[in-house]
Amino acid sequence: MPKPTPSQTVGPFFARELLWKDGGGVLFPGRGDRITLTGRVFDGNGAPIYDALFETWQADAVGKFPSGDDGSRPYGYGRVSTDSDGRYAVETVMPGSFTGPGGERYAPQISVAIFARGLLKGLRTRVFLAPLELIKDDPLARAIGDPDRLRTLIAARDAGDPKIYRWDVRLRGAGEAVFIEF
Amino acid sequence: MDVHPPYLYPDYKSTRLRAPSEPLVRVAPSPLEATGPVFPKHFVKDSEADLTTWGRSAPLGEKMVLVGRLLDEDGRPVRRSLIEVWQANASGKYPHPVDDHEAPLDPNFLGKGQVLTDDEGRYRIVTVKPGAYPWQNHAFGWRPAHIHFSLFGNAYAQRLITQMFFPGDPLLAIDPIFQSVPEAGRRLLIADLDLEQGVEGVALGYRWDMVVRGPRATPMGV
Ligand SMILES: [Fe+3]
Repeated sequence: MPKPTPSQTVGPFFARELLWKDGGGVLFPGRGDRITLTGRVFDGNGAPIYDALFETWQADAVGKFPSGDDGSRPYGYGRVSTDSDGRYAVETVMPGSFTGPGGERYAPQISVAIFARGLLKGLRTRVFLAPLELIKDDPLARAIGDPDRLRTLIAARDAGDPKIYRWDVRLRGAGEAVFIEF
Repeated sequence: MDVHPPYLYPDYKSTRLRAPSEPLVRVAPSPLEATGPVFPKHFVKDSEADLTTWGRSAPLGEKMVLVGRLLDEDGRPVRRSLIEVWQANASGKYPHPVDDHEAPLDPNFLGKGQVLTDDEGRYRIVTVKPGAYPWQNHAFGWRPAHIHFSLFGNAYAQRLITQMFFPGDPLLAIDPIFQSVPEAGRRLLIADLDLEQGVEGVALGYRWDMVVRGPRATPMGV
């Protein structure tokens, strides 16, 4: 059995190589409610991380997994970098919930990977686009248990603009987001 | 045995404020994460696997051909999978606004390429050997020559970003990014010289295979 290739940091010099025009506009073949997931990424001092690569992978509006492309880019995948304020924004469709092989119910969520200088391995997590009461049966929510920790993965719907979901990500320290490994 | 580096590796200073302090939560990949983005064949042009033909003439440096295979942990080829590479030029300079290394840019080298693996998981890229470059992590710090790799596998759970190094490089011993990898994993990041993959009188040949986790590997100890 071959051993997996070890991870290494993406480093600071990826911007021209890995970023795409309109990489923050996630494509889907079908219809759905367009939403924007946006927020800021912070380090252990609470300072914005301005050189992170922020990626998303998600189900479509009815909870089906994307499997193709529009002729130019894959469906369902978003890729942006944070800006000088640590801010990212991904415009996409509201994902539907889906069911696992054992019947487990996955709440509406987006699978996220964050790569940056200083991260020897990409950080993986899932952000929920539903309130705490509606995600309790989700497998990750069950694995986390503690509602205070779980809240670090819930995007808040903007009071003024219901199309906007806000999710700030603290990598370390007070309010540190829950990260996962497979 | 884990071959991956830890998040917190104090010798690499940037990890100190960016590594999570809480343990990660181990979960099985969701059925969503057992699938991944599919890159259409024409997303990648054949010419993008050759980083040396981008300019009006050949770039400076030691021309090289790099071949290898992308496999999963069960040894199966990972087919039709996107591999993205980026690297410094032969003098150790990136054409990037935040690279302040005082070394010349090469007008004939962008240092960026991509390729899809074939049905046996194979890839081949043509480039020049990147130069080492200084960095400010520690006194007299220089990064060993390396090529950055971004891999997708066939499932989002397989997503991996890493770096490939060159055999016999004395800078490997002083590089905290390379040294952050447990000893059992370090060899896996170093390419092998494979002269016959090169082009006689033109380019050196190297070989580097990569392995991503299985798409559905179940969590251990749960
Ligand atoms: Fe580099």
